[in-house]
Amino acid sequence: MGLMTNNRRRRWRTGRAEPQDPAVELKGKLNFLKIIVVLAFAVLTVQLARLQLLRGHEFHQRAQFNQLRIEPVIPSRGLIYDRNGVPLVENVPSFSAAVVAADVPKLRTIEIAAGLDKILGAPPLETTLKIEQARRSNDPFTPIIISDGLDEATAFHLREQLAKLPGVQVVVEPVRRYTAGSVVSDALGYIGRIDAQEYAARKDVGYVPSDHIGKAGVEATYESYLRGTPGRREIEKDASGREIRTLNQDSAKPGDDLVLSLDLDLQKKATELVQQAAHGGQAAAVVMDVHTGEVLALVSLPMYDDNIFSGKIDDAKLQQYLSDPNKPLVNHALSEQYAPGSIFKQITGTAALQEGVATPSTTITSNGYITVPNQYDPSVLYTFKDWRVLGTLNFYGGVAMSSDVYFYYLSGGYHWYGQNFDGLGADRLALYARAYGLGSQMGIDITGEASGLIPDPTWKEKTFGEPWTIGDTYNMGIGQGYVAVTPVQMVRVTAAVANGGTLLTPRVVREVRDSQGHVIMPDKPKVARRLPISSDNFAIMRDAMAQAVSWGSAHQASLPDLRIAGKTGTAEFGPRHADGTYDTHAWFSGFAPADTPRVAVTVFLERGVGAIDAAPLAAKILDYYFHRPQQIAAPRPQQPLGQVVPQAPGAASAGAPAAMTQDSPVAVDPREERP
Amino acid sequence: MNLRNTPTREFDYFLLLVAVALTTYGALLIYSGSLTSYGSPSAALSHPVSRQVAFAAIGLLAMFVLSRFDYRAFGPLSIALYALSIAGLLFVLFVGSTAYGSRRWIVVAGTQVQPSEIAKVCTVILLAKYFSDHEEQVRSLRVFVTSMVIAALPAVLVLLEPDLGSALVFLIIWLGMAIVAGARPLHVGLLVCAIAALTPIALLAAAHGYQKERIDVWLDPSRDPLGTGFNILQAEISIGSGGLFGQGFTHGTQTQLDYLRTQTTDYVFSVGAEELGFIGGVVLFALFVILLFRCLRVAGHAEDAFGRLIAVGVMTFILFQVFVNIGVNIRLIPVTGVPLPFVSQGGSSLITLLASLGILQSILGHRRKRARRI
Repeated sequence: MGLMTNNRRRRWRTGRAEPQDPAVELKGKLNFLKIIVVLAFAVLTVQLARLQLLRGHEFHQRAQFNQLRIEPVIPSRGLIYDRNGVPLVENVPSFSAAVVAADVPKLRTIEIAAGLDKILGAPPLETTLKIEQARRSNDPFTPIIISDGLDEATAFHLREQLAKLPGVQVVVEPVRRYTAGSVVSDALGYIGRIDAQEYAARKDVGYVPSDHIGKAGVEATYESYLRGTPGRREIEKDASGREIRTLNQDSAKPGDDLVLSLDLDLQKKATELVQQAAHGGQAAAVVMDVHTGEVLALVSLPMYDDNIFSGKIDDAKLQQYLSDPNKPLVNHALSEQYAPGSIFKQITGTAALQEGVATPSTTITSNGYITVPNQYDPSVLYTFKDWRVLGTLNFYGGVAMSSDVYFYYLSGGYHWYGQNFDGLGADRLALYARAYGLGSQMGIDITGEASGLIPDPTWKEKTFGEPWTIGDTYNMGIGQGYVAVTPVQMVRVTAAVANGGTLLTPRVVREVRDSQGHVIMPDKPKVARRLPISSDNFAIMRDAMAQAVSWGSAHQASLPDLRIAGKTGTAEFGPRHADGTYDTHAWFSGFAPADTPRVAVTVFLERGVGAIDAAPLAAKILDYYFHRPQQIAAPRPQQPLGQVVPQAPGAASAGAPAAMTQDSPVAVDPREERP
Repeated sequence: MNLRNTPTREFDYFLLLVAVALTTYGALLIYSGSLTSYGSPSAALSHPVSRQVAFAAIGLLAMFVLSRFDYRAFGPLSIALYALSIAGLLFVLFVGSTAYGSRRWIVVAGTQVQPSEIAKVCTVILLAKYFSDHEEQVRSLRVFVTSMVIAALPAVLVLLEPDLGSALVFLIIWLGMAIVAGARPLHVGLLVCAIAALTPIALLAAAHGYQKERIDVWLDPSRDPLGTGFNILQAEISIGSGGLFGQGFTHGTQTQLDYLRTQTTDYVFSVGAEELGFIGGVVLFALFVILLFRCLRVAGHAEDAFGRLIAVGVMTFILFQVFVNIGVNIRLIPVTGVPLPFVSQGGSSLITLLASLGILQSILGHRRKRARRI
């Protein structure tokens, strides 16, 4: 053996084969190969055991996660109908391109952004940034929307290219189509993609970043009803994202439907009439049921089409709206405030009667103006004009002829030149004006209402650092000066006068019904307060307003077969012209029928004269309301509405406006009234 | 001397049995792995299982024929066979069909043929012939280098396809055969050191190539979770989720929901590991160990160096391919596309393997009775 070892060692040195038993050598080599085989499989077995036995549980869960996804089921958004059951919206499918950042290979982000640019025209830099941002966020699995509102051809083309664009998805979502078009945009509003702020506030109630949410109008205020309850679906997906089967499902609960108080037919007609009178300027008209506070028509001109916000926002149209000086996106009936002019005399008048400042027989003579000496320097005289010389008038005449002098006396009094007439004074007048709901928000159920402004001495001191003067009181008494109101606020004032003193909260939604047609929020007037004015005094004011139409300043609002009561207003605004005149807003606020009031109407035209422009317009709207053909007795298109008719007596008005069934002057549930 | 010239006619039925067992194991996994693409367990001729069974039949036929055929006749034919297979590799480079970004196939009579599989056996035969012809000078550098060139030529052609996995197979075949043939350990050692030293440089040089990316992705599959990394991650998940007993045959969610790619070829092991578990994996390993040991037994019983070296060459390439294929599946080594012998779907590989075993059977059966020793 020693020899052999020696031989072997020498072999390395000499590099020459040494005699050796080849069989033994071969056996050694083959054994070496056997050891290699065993070692190789030992290594494989150890690694296999590590994966399957030590980490098996972890991988089992990952395999489960691979195939099981929990996806939200978006409920179908509630529909919106007009008061007669005419549908105003539809849910239609919209295609969007979305990206799941977690599925986008890091190195291919730019390539994929470029691919999306080619197909969709989405700016690649923006796309890349969005993906990077989502990748770094704690939820890279939620799809982020790259491009909204794709047309079908583009969506189809993108779908074909998905294999080349890992992480990209085509999302189909329902969006709104507003079938009635622009005429109801202000009431309906629109929905849009939830923004970061809204999402932060609502993520706990089940919203996801790609959700839509009501942004304006009843879409926003009734969001919680319209949205419904999202469901959940546990689904099995294969590697290419195809659904294999649904394992478990919590169905989504569809959103509740809204029945608006708006009467689409009246709304359309009123819009058309206001358009004719407005000559392209800003204008508004509101028709309200005087017993329920339901808004039957809400017109704001110029209009906008809320469909531009559905799906892909139409930027060109939006820019056009935003640059229009007449601000079509602003609801001029609710969100803009103007000086009311003489329609404010309803407030001054009823306050004066209630406070005993005036009685129906109080007479005041208008010589066309009054003069007031400066309180420090009596030689300085201030003149306050009437719109013309009107002579001696009692209360009815003062209202009917809209005498400014008459209302200067009632508001500020007159204690000069031998006269001694005590007026209401600014504070008392402000108190009544605020009782009528002016200067604060009404709580109407659509977004964006302005408060308006009712001034008083304290307010003026605080705001301008100047003392209140008698002139301020006079101006306030005739709805000028600092007074600012919205058209909806004024229709509410008129409705309160008409119904005998119940201040109602205006609303555009009558009822909320669930998808089965059960009424969730019944049709019930919302009473803000009972005004502290006696019903006799309201009757006097109603009579005076009826006379204004029958022989007074609002005569152009008179109709042969309908007794209308109303008050015109011509409010000065803007800078004084060289000839001493101002531009004027035209107002009319009235109700009909004069004896048994059912509806109130307020119209506002940015430029015009109340008696000439606003009064006839209001009359036409009222004429249409009372005398239109009974075309809306058409069959009801929507089942849910049909089903519930027996349950909701207030809705049993297929052929006629609901107000017709309610004849008592104050149709307000007494329990709702507050002392 | 009649006795002297009578062949033993020995046939290793055990080797045949193990090969059939492995092929059956493979066919079952191919069946499970192709359920999603072929819907029903259809008996159609185009079904991958029917095709695999047909290939197995051809391969077994080749095995029996070759077992009766004296392997020594391959000696004079070896140069011609080698030249033909090199021609096949050249042909595939210029007019081959492309799949997964490389050209590996040519289409013969409507069937895809992968010349690199046939080239492996032809290279084994030529190397065996060369080493046995130069048994006396086997320790010389000239023989060492010449034999290396014989293996390197097909390796380079395969590398150009590009198919790094198969290229490595040629070098490993040569290495295994050279060691058994008796090459100087000094030469082998120096070569291994040289390769070890050159590997990082080669990797850097190929920094833009697909191999570099594959290695990067292997190290961090999340670089490309839906691309190359997808396979790595999904194979790991499939195998891991199998646990001890597996999810059950045809019940692996990863396989049946198409999370695995190439689940009947390169990733067929993952299907088995998911559905049959650790036990199924170990059974497969055992079958391979038995097969390889039977091959080594042939090498030990071979009458001459030519037969012995063929047996070692065949054993080496089977071992290497099994190790690389499973190693890729269980994330032990970077992705290289090498089929799992007997198990992966593919006619060229299966027929070549069964035919090679036929040559091994011939080596056993054509010994002279007198020559039996061990």
